[in-house]
Amino acid sequence: MVQSRLAIDVGGTFTDVFVFNEETGEVFVTKTSSTPANPEQGILDGIDKAQLKGQDIKVFSHGTTVGTNALIERKLPKTALVTTKGFRDVTEIRRGTKEDIWDMYEDTAKPYIKRRDRFEVPERVDYEGNVLEALDEEAMRTLARKLKRRETESVAICFVNSYMNGENELKAKKIIEEELPGVYVCTSSEVLPEMFEHERMSTTIINAVLGPIMSRYIKKLEVEMHDRGYEEDILVLHSGGGVMTSSTVPKFAARLASSGIAAGAIASKHIAKLCGFDNAIGLDMGGTSTDISLMHDGEIRITKDWAIEYGYPIGFPSIEILTIGAGGGSLAWKDEGGSLRNGPQSAGAMPGPACYSRGGTEPTNSDANLVLGRLGVKLLDGSMTLDKDKADAAVQKIASEFGYSLEEAASAIIEVANANMSDAVRLISVRRGYDPRDFALVAFGGAGPLHGAELAQDLNIPIVIVPPHPGVAAAMGCLLVDVRHDISKTYVKNAVDTTAAELLEQFAAMKKEAKILLEEEGISDESSTLMNYLDLRYKGQWRSLAIPVPDDFESLLPILESFHEEHAREFAFSDEDQPVEIYGLRVTAIGTVPKPELPQFEAQGQLEAALKETRPVYFNNEFVEANVYNRELIPVGAVIEGPAIVDQLDTTTVIPTGFVAKVDAYKNIIISVTTEY
Amino acid sequence: METTRTLDPVTFEVLKNGFVNLVDQMAEQMLRTCYSFVIYNRDFSCALCDAEGNTIMQGTQDISVHVGTLHLTAKAVLEDFGDDIHPGDVFLVNDPYRGGTHFSDTRVIYPVFYEGRLIALMQTNGHWADVGGSNPGSFDVTAKEHYGEGMRIPPVRIYSKGQYLKDVVNIIVKNMRLPEERLGDLRSQVEAAKVGEVQLQAMIRKYGVETVLEAFSEVQNYVERLTRAKVKTLPKGTWETVDYIDMDPEVGDGLIPIRVKMTITDDEILYDLSGSHPYISCFLNAGFGSALSGTYAGTKTFFPEIPLNSGFYRVVKTHLPENSVVNAPSPVAVSGYCSGSFEKIMNACFELWSNIMPERALACSFNLEYLLIGGYDTRNDARDYFMWYDWMAGGHGGRIDRDGANTTSPVFGVGLSVQPCEGQERLSPVLTTKHEIITDSAGPGKYRGGCGVEKGGQLTDIEGTVMSYCCDRSRSITWGIMGGLPSIPQGAVLNPGSDSEQFLGTIFSNVPLQKGDTFTRPAAGGGGLGDPLERDMYAVLEDVIDEYVSIERARKDYGVIIQEIDRDLDQFEIDYEATQRERDYIRNNRNAWFNEDPKEVERLYRAGDIDQMDVVRKYGVIMDYTTNDVLPISTAQYRESMEKRTVAHW
Repeated sequence: MVQSRLAIDVGGTFTDVFVFNEETGEVFVTKTSSTPANPEQGILDGIDKAQLKGQDIKVFSHGTTVGTNALIERKLPKTALVTTKGFRDVTEIRRGTKEDIWDMYEDTAKPYIKRRDRFEVPERVDYEGNVLEALDEEAMRTLARKLKRRETESVAICFVNSYMNGENELKAKKIIEEELPGVYVCTSSEVLPEMFEHERMSTTIINAVLGPIMSRYIKKLEVEMHDRGYEEDILVLHSGGGVMTSSTVPKFAARLASSGIAAGAIASKHIAKLCGFDNAIGLDMGGTSTDISLMHDGEIRITKDWAIEYGYPIGFPSIEILTIGAGGGSLAWKDEGGSLRNGPQSAGAMPGPACYSRGGTEPTNSDANLVLGRLGVKLLDGSMTLDKDKADAAVQKIASEFGYSLEEAASAIIEVANANMSDAVRLISVRRGYDPRDFALVAFGGAGPLHGAELAQDLNIPIVIVPPHPGVAAAMGCLLVDVRHDISKTYVKNAVDTTAAELLEQFAAMKKEAKILLEEEGISDESSTLMNYLDLRYKGQWRSLAIPVPDDFESLLPILESFHEEHAREFAFSDEDQPVEIYGLRVTAIGTVPKPELPQFEAQGQLEAALKETRPVYFNNEFVEANVYNRELIPVGAVIEGPAIVDQLDTTTVIPTGFVAKVDAYKNIIISVTTEY
Repeated sequence: METTRTLDPVTFEVLKNGFVNLVDQMAEQMLRTCYSFVIYNRDFSCALCDAEGNTIMQGTQDISVHVGTLHLTAKAVLEDFGDDIHPGDVFLVNDPYRGGTHFSDTRVIYPVFYEGRLIALMQTNGHWADVGGSNPGSFDVTAKEHYGEGMRIPPVRIYSKGQYLKDVVNIIVKNMRLPEERLGDLRSQVEAAKVGEVQLQAMIRKYGVETVLEAFSEVQNYVERLTRAKVKTLPKGTWETVDYIDMDPEVGDGLIPIRVKMTITDDEILYDLSGSHPYISCFLNAGFGSALSGTYAGTKTFFPEIPLNSGFYRVVKTHLPENSVVNAPSPVAVSGYCSGSFEKIMNACFELWSNIMPERALACSFNLEYLLIGGYDTRNDARDYFMWYDWMAGGHGGRIDRDGANTTSPVFGVGLSVQPCEGQERLSPVLTTKHEIITDSAGPGKYRGGCGVEKGGQLTDIEGTVMSYCCDRSRSITWGIMGGLPSIPQGAVLNPGSDSEQFLGTIFSNVPLQKGDTFTRPAAGGGGLGDPLERDMYAVLEDVIDEYVSIERARKDYGVIIQEIDRDLDQFEIDYEATQRERDYIRNNRNAWFNEDPKEVERLYRAGDIDQMDVVRKYGVIMDYTTNDVLPISTAQYRESMEKRTVAHW
């Protein structure tokens, strides 16, 4: 009986499984260990653990670290770069910059393709797309034969100015296909026809090195899943916040360089919307790091400044995630200047926080939370006991350093951790002209709900939402997205020098291309939506803003007006007298995938039944007796007054003194935050 | 020295990080709204200063060259306006003789008040693409005095009590090329400073003004404490070295010494640049602000984890002799300080610190260079004025346990991005013909320098077009340490490979260009570290496969004999016996080569028996490549340094 929707988020350590049974509305979640050496295995283990048969699964969507691992470990197929004579080192020169500008012993990562595998051919196109020098086909053929001798497995072609005219690239591709049949080839003009040779070349190279890997992976997974009786497409999440099927994986493999990263942001958006919020900040706090995302007016912010490793950009639009080194395992320490620091170093899974009794002795956020009574000594199902003495001993180090009591030290550790996170949230909210007071905070991940309420208070965020399964909420994100492709094109012209008709013609060609992609994915016309955007900036500026434009328009004026408004919102100033320049055109193609409708529950039972115990928990400089509830037993509609702790298998939610939480029909805990001013 | 603390550690840590965040917010705003492509490529910086002008926090990605100067320009505004600073005032300053760097670095100083009391200054500093003067881009290498170099802006008020002083701003920007763009930069900087103010006021609302002010001083004390604690653990003593600018163009032969003496006491680092040459007749001199900054940045490179603010400047103290190449007074031209004195001070500091902290040792890195081409673009009827203003990445110095970084932005500011030629080709009729690594450009060593880069181009549809160059190290060639060898001379070439090929050197102005002319120039590799004969021969082999090193120079520089079997398949072989013989041969003869009569070296070069790399790496000889004459004085100076840095370690 086809009834379940399956989402799997493969992370570095754990594979999260989220199963939604459409018939009963039940949700099943579980975790297995990830298996990086054999990536399908972790997924199949997860499916086994969920006791799912292939024929029970209606939709299977997932995020995977296959691409990320291959890139970081440089376990890549033998890939060659073919470029214009004089330019084979562009990818090594990059923009010259380093991420750490002071530490001369901190290097930028090495290029994905070594110099020995980067080749040049005579050809040249100018900035307008005129062919100055046709491709030297003989030289290209000689090179192709050399590549064959070298047993090249994949080829990236990127010529200067090919974003204006891809003719020479396509000729080169044809020759390579003739000489090296079956070898993966991609051209920059097909992958991402945008200006700037380094960014385009980098994207094309990443596409070429991942193309064979991702294709092989998805095919293997398809075979395994078919063997288990699953006949539908396997959906893979891409960093742009959409999914693709195996048919487009080879073409846009670079979008899978970090496939799972968008899942948490998407889940957070969905949860916030269910709760009636169009503005939300997602806080996905795990063991070693925290991912922060932002949704405004129902849309998640998108960025084009994105890379797996600094210096090698991937030019596709990607969901904007700010990752900082703050997690449950982050270490507290005193630096040589006498300041109390928190992170970015982490005790990781090994040795882990001191209280895990795996050999860790340094104080972490988890240890501090245990000292303060916010974490319980026994996890719910009794599978793990935390060692309070070890946590005390670790936190005592900080207490002694600063002359604090044990509790003061623990509380200081948490405050510093929260402050670091609020600085990060400020960077993507306040800094961008968003006022946190207009937002809800969705706190998830293993540690998010422990910190969410106080963090929100710090930022004046009035509402915190803790979803029913915070530990695996990100996986759910995989089920909540549509097929999505982003087509873009550089088009530089003054707004006054162009006409609506000309732009509409350009858009029409791009939409045609987008349509074909959706058709390849098997998306019907009714399920397709195309959206158009213009990248605009004041003439002379270097960065542009993407402004949505309607399907049909007779004048550019209303579009320019929205640009001025958006510029004022984003940067606090605008100037209608300044000439506006068009920088690029974008089309986003959405193929709507049916999504699960999470069930709503009726109020049943009493809150008292969920009361597990009371224990002393430290808030506002003193221990107070707090109620501890078992989340599974808390009825819908219950109102919980702080101080209180809500325990569940995958996380602990803290409701500080003075805060009031309510459980909604979707079983989200909604905490109203007491703001200071 | 333990300073008393009044803030609890949590409030302190929260506010300290909050200040970092505040400055980064200003930086982000500037990056996203600026007009100058120079700013967009990250030649800018931001700071939060206290009411005395001291720096509390700077941007985490700031250009190194600005680091030690932001407090000086803040103080200059306070000095000039004193009590006459009011809420709603905004000031502008770019004066290198008041602590600025050069005219292009234009700074907005934005006072912040709380209940009528001045509590802080926000500062946003950007390199404007043009600030007027005789040359596009405001680099006139022939300038001896600053008149005509560009607009000098002493501290000047541009907003008075909230009122925009249009007339004042007009007189400034109308003296610059593309005044509308400069207004755009100015607005971007003022708005970015406001972002900082809003954030600071929010912090004050939350923590109270006294706590925030206390944190201002405690954050400086913290950095001071941190730095002194580090200094305590260092060996005490005095170290000295010298680096050179190529020449005083009016004098000719003779490297221009910049002497750096460093003393580490119990809790301070003292620099004394006495003995450095008097200021010279071209714009490579430094004003006192940028020279100070050179010592701060050179020091900071060895303490990357210490945040920069005025607390750091309390521990690092620098004496700069008056009227010298490292402390030139008005009106002596200093606009090219970045290619001149500044990077020499930084590299000299690297060498000194390499002795004290060998685990972070760093040989000399390539020299910052700016090539400017300006003229009329005849590709369309508008015949717009264009400016092709370009800089390159190059090789950094070899390190104690690994090669130098290949193709990295200059030490002047590792955050400065090189420009994409596709963007440049849209804006200017200059077609880039190559942008590639130069084989053999890395200074040989046990750990070689990073590889250098070459970028060349061709002029297409132009009229009335000239080229200028701001560079150095065609003579004071990027050097190695601990036995490592130099890389290659820098300098631009016109029409390379043709009959009219001409080496133009490292500083020239307004060379006329015609349609079809081509040009190229190298950014050198880094200097090597350690004896190249001790380099792992398999590392040499890998370099040969990647063509970082040629088979020929594998033999000459490293004594490694490699045979090509099949380059198409990356198949090469090391001849172990021949390598042993070659290494012995070099070892037995290199001291004699190093003492060869420079005139004989000149003869060999002219006869085509040796190349530029042989001239400097094998013989330590410096030549003028515009004439191919040997330079006896420069050679003697260069050999003296090379004797200490290289030969003494063999």
